[in-house]
Amino acid sequence: MGCPVAKRGGGADHANPVNHRLWSTATCYGIILPSLVLLFTFVYLPVLWAFSKSLYEFEVGGEARFVGLANYAEFLTGDPATWTSLLNMLFITVFAVCVRLSVPLVVAKLIYMLPSERARYIYRILFLVPIVVPGVAVLLIWNGMIYGDSGLLNETLKAVTDWANGVFGLALPDVRIGWLSDPNTALLALVMIGFPFVGGFEVLIYYAGLSSIPDSVNEAATLEGCVGVRKFFLIDIPLVLSQLKLILILTIIGGVQGFENIFVLTQGGPGFKTMVPGLWMYFNAFSFQRFGYACAIGVCLFVLILSLTIINIKYFKSTEEAQSTP
Amino acid sequence: MPHGENVLLEALPVQARGRTGSRMTAEGTTPRKRPIKQASLAIILALGVWALWPPAPEHDAPGGVDRGDAVEKTETRYVIKFSAGSFFLPDSRPFGLGKPLQGFKRVVRAFEERYPDTRIEFVLVPGNREYLVTQLSSGSAPDVLCVNVEDVWVDVQKDWYIPLDSYLEAPNPFVTEQGDPSLPGAQEWWDLFKYQAISRGKAAPDGNNYCINLDMIETAVFYNKTMFREAGVEPPETWDEFIHVLNVLQDHENPQGEDVIPLLLHLGAFHDWGSDLFFDQLYYDLLPGIDLVQDPVREAYLEGYLDWDELTFLNQKGFFTEQDPRYRELWRIMKELIPYCPRSLTATDFVREFVNQRGAMFWENCSYVYRFHADPNLEFEWGVFYLPRFTTHTSPYASGEPMCVIGGTANQFEVTNSAVGDTDPSLPLAERMQQSERLQRVIAFLQFMTLPENCDTIVNEFPGLLPNIVGVPVHPVLSEFETILKRRYTTTKWIYSYDLKFSDIQYRMLNLYLTGGLTLDDFLGEWQYANVRTAAENSIRRKNPDLDRLETAWQRLAPARQEMNGLPGG
Amino acid sequence: MKRDHRWALHIPLGIFLILTMIPFVFAVNNIFRTNSELDHAFFAFPHCLKGLAQIGVDSVTGTERQYLFYDENGRKALGGRDEALPQYWVQLKRGPGLAWSVIRKYMLNSFIVSGLTALGTVLIGSVTAYILSRYRFAGYKYVFMAIISTMMFPGVLTLVPSFLLVKELGLLNTYWAMVFPYIAGGQVFAIFVFKSFFEGLSEDLFGCARIDGAGHFMLYTHIVLPLSKPVFSVVLIMNVLGTWNNFLWPFIVNTEGKHHVIASGLYVLATSPHAANYATLYAAYAISSIPLLLLFVYATKPFISGMTSGAFKA
Repeated sequence: MGCPVAKRGGGADHANPVNHRLWSTATCYGIILPSLVLLFTFVYLPVLWAFSKSLYEFEVGGEARFVGLANYAEFLTGDPATWTSLLNMLFITVFAVCVRLSVPLVVAKLIYMLPSERARYIYRILFLVPIVVPGVAVLLIWNGMIYGDSGLLNETLKAVTDWANGVFGLALPDVRIGWLSDPNTALLALVMIGFPFVGGFEVLIYYAGLSSIPDSVNEAATLEGCVGVRKFFLIDIPLVLSQLKLILILTIIGGVQGFENIFVLTQGGPGFKTMVPGLWMYFNAFSFQRFGYACAIGVCLFVLILSLTIINIKYFKSTEEAQSTP
Repeated sequence: MPHGENVLLEALPVQARGRTGSRMTAEGTTPRKRPIKQASLAIILALGVWALWPPAPEHDAPGGVDRGDAVEKTETRYVIKFSAGSFFLPDSRPFGLGKPLQGFKRVVRAFEERYPDTRIEFVLVPGNREYLVTQLSSGSAPDVLCVNVEDVWVDVQKDWYIPLDSYLEAPNPFVTEQGDPSLPGAQEWWDLFKYQAISRGKAAPDGNNYCINLDMIETAVFYNKTMFREAGVEPPETWDEFIHVLNVLQDHENPQGEDVIPLLLHLGAFHDWGSDLFFDQLYYDLLPGIDLVQDPVREAYLEGYLDWDELTFLNQKGFFTEQDPRYRELWRIMKELIPYCPRSLTATDFVREFVNQRGAMFWENCSYVYRFHADPNLEFEWGVFYLPRFTTHTSPYASGEPMCVIGGTANQFEVTNSAVGDTDPSLPLAERMQQSERLQRVIAFLQFMTLPENCDTIVNEFPGLLPNIVGVPVHPVLSEFETILKRRYTTTKWIYSYDLKFSDIQYRMLNLYLTGGLTLDDFLGEWQYANVRTAAENSIRRKNPDLDRLETAWQRLAPARQEMNGLPGG
Repeated sequence: MKRDHRWALHIPLGIFLILTMIPFVFAVNNIFRTNSELDHAFFAFPHCLKGLAQIGVDSVTGTERQYLFYDENGRKALGGRDEALPQYWVQLKRGPGLAWSVIRKYMLNSFIVSGLTALGTVLIGSVTAYILSRYRFAGYKYVFMAIISTMMFPGVLTLVPSFLLVKELGLLNTYWAMVFPYIAGGQVFAIFVFKSFFEGLSEDLFGCARIDGAGHFMLYTHIVLPLSKPVFSVVLIMNVLGTWNNFLWPFIVNTEGKHHVIASGLYVLATSPHAANYATLYAAYAISSIPLLLLFVYATKPFISGMTSGAFKA
């Protein structure tokens, strides 16, 4: 408009540039000091502690002995729980990724295709309902009501087999089992919580992605006769790739380090069938009082996540560059 | 802490800028609807604030105490945090039956009337061991805790708990003030307790007594008398009869025509009670040769009790390893019961199965008496019997002794280091105990609680536990448990002898073994033997037992072991 | 033509919806059933609701009958309307009543913790982002990198040391034990978002204001704040969502149990003696869902408008 662009870094005082810059630097640091203090105290300090305490063996209220890398050696070679828990973690993460990238996307697309705005709004709100229930409550509901001995699953199976026996005269055995306590089904029962896996948050994200597809693209596709399933795979999915990437990363990070659901439900049992490294770390710290060893496990998991992040950045950067359209 | 939101940014629609007419318009509400929405929001916020506004806290929080105005006038000097355990939690309804409990509240109120400068706060504390550890190490535990005293024994060297002997050996002031020197408690507080041997037997291995036992608990097998009669069986006297009864009930059907689960037993019972009882049955004959240390304080009740240091020493001599045939028997016999047990050993609704006659027998503690006694819709007669003894048919190493008793004390109140929180932490504990005024109040509260009339108020509010104070009557429904309590005490308590990692591994792998995920050889060979060995080594490192003294005792008992069979290594 | 077929979309959507809702419908149903009802049958309508409905219908049609109800001792009894009606009401209120009395303090704590965290994060985050985005001072690049690189550290790494730190600082069993770590972690996202938004603000605005004599603080309050309302709402809401359902950290840090938030409080409730009464549990789950439900109903629009307002650049 005619207003001169002011110099950055402060007012128009040219009288004493050096002092002014020092003062303004000091002020700036002063203003962001709370931020830095919090960051240092509650993020950097624990991280440094994790690395340093993992070289010790100590318990609460007891002595700390320096053991060097013995904790890592024990975790990687001497602990029978390690490889089982890593495999379980892999299974849980892969399952979660498969499920969270597919079902909510399909549901989001279905909602998107509905003709009336009100119907779309209502469905979006309704699918959010499971999210508002606290996670712990959902787990306990599934544990008590669905997987319980007289729960939904067992009662339904019993009713079905009774009916089949009655109608067809079969002698089907009683198939009711303890889903979360039978070693063969525990892990599977754990990942199946949340069936049919329509996460409200993911649906919202995918829906946002779908609606950001420009109308021009949609019209062009309709003109060319590319509709329905073909359109879904050829046009929609590539254009919501960034949303998919977001959910993928969130799911992987959650899968690698999340263990609250296992803690509440099975505590890793029976045996180590549902154990994951995060939970083993928790037990070692707060039950067995082996804080040094627990920190070592934490560091190992950090290395794992770091490598995944680096892979992710490298891989997705290259696909983005390949993908970017002028 | 929120994670991953960083990546949210990259996913947000880049093309969202400058879009019009998109389906994601923010103008979803027409101008007419917006005031309605804002009004409803305001109403909801107002409701929310009203609902959440903390009322006079005493009145509605469970465990709070109704205080009269009189007490408000004096300033509160001591706030004693009291974890009352789960049995008598005020305002709770045991098993969801009957009226909310008020007994403890009344006792607390009476105490506060006597000491207007003290307030006692009920604290609801989860019973996990993890909590105990973190609370105590940070000095923020409740002043009075209610936990199994064997948990205390594991950490007694850390000065986390206050030894109570000096108070127990002194008179109870609330009794002496009544003026009659012949009343129990007037000479020594100890005299108030009914089951002397059990209570004194709860002293820790270091000789100190850390807990006040208010009441006793016992386990037994509850059984469906009506169903037994219909099936034509009687409560068994020996293990073989027990197996026979189980077999008969396996084929029996209940009045609704459903299959019956003969024995409802959860994993904790196998892991905790089962392992101790079976151990006693199989090792009893060896006691003259392996009971190395006799504690004069506790031995009156705990005949032949094996502490952690004796167990550790024995483990080094080959007991509880591959060379020990008796140890293997213990777990083998446990598996024998599995075909008659429920599919899921960790389910928590066994009571439901028993009450609906889908289960014939149910091994649990005596507080469940209330569940069945007070259930108005129970359609069958019930009774109790105790687990029958092994015979030589069950195992060649069986001693033939009646099954011993586990349990004993129920609510065990310990005083933690928080009670001396008003003194300097750098002083030794004995000095802190002398200086602390707060501790005096806490002890006074415990002395008050153990008066007969107060114990009656608390413990007899519902029939569930046997009072441990002289002169307090026992509910007639619990009379059979009084008899059971007269049995001999168990030889050892495994999961209280060693650290939590030991019991965690044993619990997990026992779960896997019993549900068929592991064979007996794998359970023992890959897990349990190593588990015992590691736990023993850890306890040597942490607690420095006097192994030489044990070695001397071992040599001394060598002649007794000459005649014994089934010793490790043949 | 095209329109005719699209009603069929409701079928798969409806199936998904029903499957998703089943556990919650059953849970809500169980709020009003007594323990003995639950012991005997899994699929059944609450007895007291049936009774109340029956009484309602009968009082309209004028029929008299005996009603089956559970009296104060839990015993099955038959009685007329005057005896049955109050018992039905008692049964109806019992589960939610006891649940609310236990949950109330947890909910209050949740509000306090999440509220303080959200306010603190937004405040600290926006100020820091403002400084970082518009002022060049010594080492500003490194500061920003230091802040951003904390995103690399996963929760598992810092769980145990953070607990030890909080214990050392004596903050266990206080609100600060939860608020400070949350703010420390959440401000990173806030800084990121705010910074990219502030950088997008045109320089002209600031230039004109400075000429008019505005000091730095006035620049912030009068220009930046009003313009960034959508961003604020997004960051606020994301923050609340992130902290509300966090279970593990409050569980570890609240060893005494007074400052439990909803997430950890529910677990404590479920493992306490109160859990023997199933209706209490289910009522607690239902009640604890209400705040987030309200948040979603009222905050979805601002949230979405914030996200699509052009505030975000990759």
